[in-house]
This record gives sequence, structure tokens and C-alpha cells, in this order.
Amino acid sequence: MKIEFICNGKNKAADIEGDTRALDLLRQELGLTGVKEGCGKGECGACTILLNGKPVASCILPAAKLADSEVITIEGLSEANGDLHPIQKAFLDEGAVQCGFCTPGMVLSSYALLTKNIKPETDEIETALSGNMCRCTGYGKIVAAVKRSGELLEDNHGR
Amino acid sequence: MAGEDYRIIGKSHIKVDGHELVTGQAKFAGDLYFPGMLYGCAVRAAVPAGLLKGIDFSAALQEPGVVDVITADDIAGPNIMGVLPPFDQPVMATELIRYAGETVAFVLGETRKAASRGAALVKPDIESIPPLLSPEESLKKGARKIHEGGNITFSKKLIKGSIEEGFRESDLILENQYETTFQEHAYIEPETVCAVPAGDNRITIHASCQSPFHIRGHIAANLNVPMSKVKVIQSYTGGSFGGKDDVAAEMGILAGTAAIKLRKPVMVIHSREESIIGSNLRHAAKIKIKSGFTKEGLIKARDIKITLDGGAYASESPFVVMKALIHAAGPYVIPHIYVESTAVYTNKTYTGAFRGFGVPQVTFASESQIQEAADKLEIGALEIRKLNALRIGTTTATSQLLENSAGMVETLEEVESNPLAEEGFREDNLYLYGTGYAGVIQGISNGAEGIDVVGASVQMGQDGSVLVGTGLSELGQGSRTVFAQIAAEVLGVPLEMVTSRLCDTDSVHDSGPTVASRGTTVGGISVMKAAGEVKKSLLKMASIMFKTEEKNIILKDGFAVLIFDDSARIPLADVATAAYWSGFPIMNTAFSRAPDSEYDHETHQGTIYIAFNFGTHRMDVRIEKATGKVVVLDHLAVHDVGKVINPMLMEGQVEGASLIGFGLGHMEKILYKDGIIENPNLADYSVPTIMDRIPTKVLSVEEYNPNGPYGAKGIGEPPVAGAAASFVNAVSQAVGVRFDKMPVTREDILKAIGIKRREA
Repeated sequence: MKIEFICNGKNKAADIEGDTRALDLLRQELGLTGVKEGCGKGECGACTILLNGKPVASCILPAAKLADSEVITIEGLSEANGDLHPIQKAFLDEGAVQCGFCTPGMVLSSYALLTKNIKPETDEIETALSGNMCRCTGYGKIVAAVKRSGELLEDNHGR
Repeated sequence: MAGEDYRIIGKSHIKVDGHELVTGQAKFAGDLYFPGMLYGCAVRAAVPAGLLKGIDFSAALQEPGVVDVITADDIAGPNIMGVLPPFDQPVMATELIRYAGETVAFVLGETRKAASRGAALVKPDIESIPPLLSPEESLKKGARKIHEGGNITFSKKLIKGSIEEGFRESDLILENQYETTFQEHAYIEPETVCAVPAGDNRITIHASCQSPFHIRGHIAANLNVPMSKVKVIQSYTGGSFGGKDDVAAEMGILAGTAAIKLRKPVMVIHSREESIIGSNLRHAAKIKIKSGFTKEGLIKARDIKITLDGGAYASESPFVVMKALIHAAGPYVIPHIYVESTAVYTNKTYTGAFRGFGVPQVTFASESQIQEAADKLEIGALEIRKLNALRIGTTTATSQLLENSAGMVETLEEVESNPLAEEGFREDNLYLYGTGYAGVIQGISNGAEGIDVVGASVQMGQDGSVLVGTGLSELGQGSRTVFAQIAAEVLGVPLEMVTSRLCDTDSVHDSGPTVASRGTTVGGISVMKAAGEVKKSLLKMASIMFKTEEKNIILKDGFAVLIFDDSARIPLADVATAAYWSGFPIMNTAFSRAPDSEYDHETHQGTIYIAFNFGTHRMDVRIEKATGKVVVLDHLAVHDVGKVINPMLMEGQVEGASLIGFGLGHMEKILYKDGIIENPNLADYSVPTIMDRIPTKVLSVEEYNPNGPYGAKGIGEPPVAGAAASFVNAVSQAVGVRFDKMPVTREDILKAIGIKRREA
């Protein structure tokens, strides 16, 4: 079947099977390898994308569900000129990136939270990121990075 | 030297590979694509022990998209892998199945889905035999031999002094037995390898791995080609923690064999389940300790017996046996020690390297018993550890004299100067509280495990930019950043002018594995050496350009500068260009070798490690009486790291390792039933999520290490042991019960609270 959707601000069309996973459509057809596969079962959050602004696990999402929707992957976050989004900058500045494999999903879940709430409390951050597993950092610097992101976004008038 | 002012060393620079990681641009092995690429999927034995009678792959070959199936017969070389002697592990099983999950065949498909569908259709004919599922079963008289040489994987003794004499001098003797379970690495990126036959009659292996040179050797041997024909490029690796040592060789051999046979690139990516059952786990352990203390709290003697469940194959069990042996007595001065450390084969997933490498298990046991002694003798937790602590001038369990960099007491004192408002056992209507302590020692780098060498290369371009490479792996810990910082400091260039490249086996000397917390220490020295040679050329050239002696010139901020006139400066780009045109080499490939260990192989007495990391952890917990739920209120981790090269990255290591230790101590349990892992997924195997995080506060002590760059020594592993041991001591105090098995889960705590209540 043919579907159309907006991905990182651009119109996309794809021809998919009933059992094509959104993850594979994005990684293989569209070359968006920033979307990672960690478990294939929706348990680790590495495959997180934003579907109409909400974080979802793309490994258990049928590609058909992307039809007529807006999708954001990590590739869509940087500026057109390559500048980092404030959340990406905060993650680097706070040491919240080690191996980087969980990072795209973490950043997107953070983005979804900060869009709704630019000054989240610690427990709100923890809830928002509870579906994103990290084995390297111990999460402390990730929480600090999300708080810092909020500050940077406020300085930029909440972009 | 200690006390010097550095421009780049000691600063929290962001990771040099951070940009591509945070934008998703970094290519991990599974992100690579090569035209014509096929996908491979292993067929695995579903029973823990058996005789492989045959394999029927007729159905698999009919499946659309399946291209081929390879078996052990297709392996050109010996079909053997394994990190260490006895090299007892086949790449694909031929006659015997020794664990559930063992690879028996490898299916190639045009898509990943086709390959795994094909693998599901392959029918191995296995005659089950009764499995041996514990070291006790395997060691029973008359037990079936899992390997020809018998069921002991490896066994070693450590003998210092005379424990009989030590026990005679003791006022208090404690005898305890402790147990720990298997732990899974659970890196978020599953194991991935891609083999690409190149048109130049070589084969390139892109691998998510930790030991590129080691896997090159095994791949070449099994492909039956010279090592020089195989190039291993370590891809961006999504965590390893010891788990991508062995299995990357297995996958590389399978993918490489298929790639050469089919003349196509072959990608193999493990599913999460395969990652858990088909790659090494942390050894489960049983540890018996008998210790003698004087009434003042001095440790006089320790008699320790360690039995490790080695699983089906040796993997790194011999080294884990040795490391557990050496570290079991703890960071203390003990005149009489006897340790027996043994790994035993069982029909379970093979156990091997995992961050800590035997030290977390023995530290939990040792620190639990020391705390029990402190409680019985009514001596404070910090006091008893300080009384016995190793320090300069004392000797370790292997009689190694500590001549420098022994900050155990300093870490205890640092904890002491950061007291909690309230600590110790407390209770109110809803909660129980407890504070646990642990002292840690971890030898840095290979020690008794063999030669300790690293190759590094530093190249300056004619524009003054610098390219650094080593044979060690960036696994997320920040080694590429640390090496860049070191090169930048030596050459006096801004960090932005330094590029730290990924590791490939063509470019530098075989550097062994990135393990044992050795990256910064031995890798750093090697980078200093290479950078130092380039610096010599630049100084020679600059001295000609300035018409002054070399000693009057320093390199800083991208310039060669006269020490007596800061405004007299030549851009390093000009110096480098002139050096090139004058024939002074501006690239150096260095080889550095750490001092060998020297010890008696019967008693394990001698000089073994080039440096030791020391640490003290304190954890304060609150337990909800009604549910057993634990909240860590406070966690302080203090380590002697010699010199902090990058504070932010160092903290990241302590925080990350601590949470893995917390998982080991509280949450993670591989559940085996009849030799089958029942929870090979991230829902039923409880990896700590952000909701489980602990509030680790990191402090460091810097006791200069002359064997490390700028005095630094490693930090990657020791906090695992510290966090696990201090956690168990904390909950033991809170509940009033000595927990002697890890993990101490919420269930265990609730049960113990109930029992205590009934006893009261």
C-alpha cells in the first residue's frame, strides 16, 4: 500500500507492506539511521520517534500508522545550517551522552516534554523518560541536561 | 607532575564524538549499508545439553529470500574461538551441544526478516542429555565431563603467610557464605558485525566490539587467511562493558565465512534475546569466607573459597578466576591470606567479562563480612576500614609493595568529611533506614593476565591540525576525548584542532582489548609518547626558525612561543609546514609497554598491577515497611583516580558503573529453569530505568600515579563493586538481617521484614 506523511518537515511517500515496521521504513527506505533498534519489542525506547508530537516506539508501530501524520526523528532536530538544537547542545554540555545509542530517543522524549512544559520538575522528567533505557550514564546527567535544555529554550523564547 | 597548571587536562571538555552522536549521524555497525548486502541469522540449540545428530535445512532453503545456510563444515579454519586457552569453544557446534542458545548453523537471507524466518525453519536434530546445571552438580564424583579435560575450567590459589597462625591471633572468627547471580550487560545496542569482502582480496569487518585485534586474529584463523588480509574497523559501539569481546569474534567468523563463500557483504545483528542467551554473562558466584579479627578490629587472617559458575565455555573465566583471587581480601593490610578461586563448567550460557570482572562479587562478600565484624566488635564502619586500609609502604594480598598512589585512607577520610545529617539504623512508622559502606580496590590494566601494550599514532598536518588514533576502543566512556586532550596538551594546540579517529587494526600496533579499566592509563601513556615525538620535531624546527635553543620554546595555543617573550610566536601550521619541508617527521607511531607483572604462579605472590584504584562508597537507603520498596536517599562514591583528566567524563563513569552495581545488588536476576533462560528480554530482566536511578555524588582524590598520563589511573570498573556492596550493607542494617545473596530484591526485603516481625 502507498502512504504519504511529513517527515522532518518534508513530504514523503512510501510503498509498504502490511507488516512493515515504522522503524524499518524510516531506517531503510528513508535512510534515517538515527532511529535505533535496541530490542524490537518496545521495551528500551531506542527507537523513539515523535508521531504528531507524541513519543512512540517505532519498532512496534506499523508503518501504515504514519500515513497522513507528522513524524520527527533525531535528524529533524538540528537547524538547517547544521547548528544543534538547544536540547542537543545541553545533552553534550552536561555529559549526558556516552555511547550515544539511547541518545536520539532520549532527546526526542525530552523534546516532547519540553514542548508541553519548559520548566519540568525532576519527577516529571523521570516520568517522561521512563520509557528510554540507558546503560551507560546512570541517568543523572540526562536529568540535568533536560533541565538545562529548558533554560536554554527559555532564553531562545521557547523554540 | 602534580600541582601543575594544565590548559586542557583536568577540564570537562565535551566529547569529541558528541556532535555526531547527538544528531544521530554517527554510524553504528547496524547503520551501515553495502550494495548487495545479505543478512545472517544464527540457528541456536534449544536444549542445554545434547548430541547433535544432524541438521535439516531443506525447509529453510525453500523459504523465499533465503540464500544459503552454512554450518561448521563451511568454516575453512579450525572452527575454534575463545578469548583464552583452553580455546575450547567451537564457532558452530559439531557434535556436542553445551548450552541452550549455542549456534549450530547460520542462515543467509536477502532481508533480516528472511534470514530469521529461515533460521526458524532449520531443524537441528539434537538428542538431549541430562544437563549439569550448577558447579555442585558438575563437581560431583562421576559427573559427565562437559569438556574432555574435566569440569574445572580453571583454578588458582593465593597463599600469603599462614592462616592457621592468623586465626590463632584472632579474638573474633566469622564464617559466612555469600552468593551472587548471573548478570547481563544489557547494552542498548545489541551485538552487530558486518563483513565486507573488498575488491583488493582483503576482507573488512565492521564490528561493534571491544577488542578489534583479538577478533581479527580469530576471524583470520577461522577463515584460514593471513591476519594481514583482515581489517577490523571498530564502529561506533553502543556500550560493551565486556560483553562484546567473545561474541564479536563469533559473529565476525560467521559473517566473514558467508561473505567469502557468497562474495557479498554480510550483516549480522543479534536480537535482544540472542544478546542475552548467546553472549557471555557475568559469573554467578558462591563465596565462603572465614576471617579472623582482633578485638580492636585488625584483620589477621582470611580464608576464602570462590566458586564461579563458568557456563559452557572458558571465555575469560581464567582471568576472572585470577582477578577474583587477587581482590577477594579487599583493600586491607592482611598478614595471612589463603584464597582458592575456581570456575566450573556447567551447561549454561558461558560466563566471561563484565565490568568489574569478579571484583563486584568478592567485594560484596568481603565487605558484608567486614561490616558484620564491625557491628559485632562495636567499631564504626569507617573506623574499621581505616584501621586496616592499605597505604603507601604496606603490601597487598599478593605481597606487592605499594610505593605510590595508594589513596584508600584518603577516600575514607573524604567520606568522613562529607557526613550525612542522619545515618545508621533509623525507624519510623512507615520506613526503615540504613547506611551501608564499602571499601574497594581494583587493579588497573592487565596485571597478571599477560603483556600490556598499546599502540598509538599522532599525525600533525601542515595546517597544524592533529590526528590521533590508538588501538583501544571508544565504548562511550570517552577514551577518544581523553586521548585528544592528552595530544592537545602535549602539542600545545586547541582541542578543536585535534581529531581522534575510530580504531582500526591496520593503523596501529596490536593493543589488546579495552578492558580492565586500562584505557586512560596505558592508552594515555602511548598517546603522550607519540605526541612527544611530534613535539620534538616541532621544537627542532621552531628552534631553527627562532634561531634559539629548543629549551627557550614552548608550544601553546597553536603557536611556538619564546618563553621570555610571549609576543614572539610562530603559528604551528607554519612550523609544521617547515618541518615537513625540512624532513622532520610530523607523524609518530608509538608503542608503549607497561611493566610486566612478576609473581609466583603457585602462591600468586608478587608484583602484579601497575596501579590500583581505591574507593569508598556510602549508601543511605529508606525501605517502605509495607512493600519492601527501597529508595536510595544518598550515595557518595569517592575514588582515588590519580589525576582527573576530564571531570565530567570521570563522573559519568562513576555514575554509570554505580547504577550497574545497584542493578547487580538489587534488581537484576537471570532466571534459569532446567538450563533455559526464562527472562531473555528487557521487561522481565530488570535493568534499572530512570525511575530506578540513584543519586550518586562523585568525589575524587588524586594520588599521583607515575605509571599513568599526568598521574591518572582508571575508573571504569571499581564503582560497580562499591555500589553493590554498599547497597547490601545498607539494606542489611535497615532490616536488621544480614543478606548474604545478591540481588537483594524488594521481595527478599519484604520477606525478611515479615520474618523479623514474626520473630519479635
